[in-house]
Amino acid sequence: MIAAFFHNPITMSSNSELLLLLPLCAAVGLIYKTIRVEYLSQLPREYVKLLAYMAFGLVALCVLLWAIHTYWP
Amino acid sequence: MTRQKQSSPIPALAVLLACAIPGAGHVYLGRAKRGIIIFLTITVLFWSGVGVGGVLTVDSQKEKWWFVAQMLTGVNGLAAWQRQKQTYKALANVEGETIDDKAVKAGLGRIELVTPAETVARAYSGVAGLLNLMCIFDALMLSIMGARGEPRPQEDQPKPKVPAKKGAAT
Repeated sequence: MIAAFFHNPITMSSNSELLLLLPLCAAVGLIYKTIRVEYLSQLPREYVKLLAYMAFGLVALCVLLWAIHTYWP
Repeated sequence: MTRQKQSSPIPALAVLLACAIPGAGHVYLGRAKRGIIIFLTITVLFWSGVGVGGVLTVDSQKEKWWFVAQMLTGVNGLAAWQRQKQTYKALANVEGETIDDKAVKAGLGRIELVTPAETVARAYSGVAGLLNLMCIFDALMLSIMGARGEPRPQEDQPKPKVPAKKGAAT
């Protein structure tokens, strides 16, 4: 069953595509902060801070693009 | 008690290890925890992509630039490429117009990779490779600087003197 899972593509709807950006951002943020922090004890705090920045940035971008798409003459 | 002096790391070896196994370069440099985090994150991200896109996610024939990025994940990319080659080999002798038709005739099920699964699969696995490129570069820079192990806390070191402004005390 697991072999089939890694063999055949899963069926996805286009609606969930944007939500799948979040795990990608989480992975990018974790690797980036793992490399960047001087002491490993700082990692959790720095990582959460970066995730918050990324989530806020994505939401802000979404709102901006939605506003342009909706209200642009 | 005598303290054993650590030898300085070899940059080429650090890069080679980091290319082969994500995080291995950092483990070699004495940063085992960081290496484990890097290995787990890149491996999970890469195989999540392959899980979404199936065996054709790593495609050396159709998506060459994504393939290059995916190969930067080292053993993960090589394992996925091997599976893709085996699949193409199994489909080679089957007549049909598309790879999906061939796969169905060969009894492998439908393996056509289409959007949006294609986008997600290639983005996950390709970004995993690019993240490992960043780690390879970090391991290279650390080894060039001669860094071994985690940096020690700097509490006991004297604070740097602030240079006096010119003409402040005249």
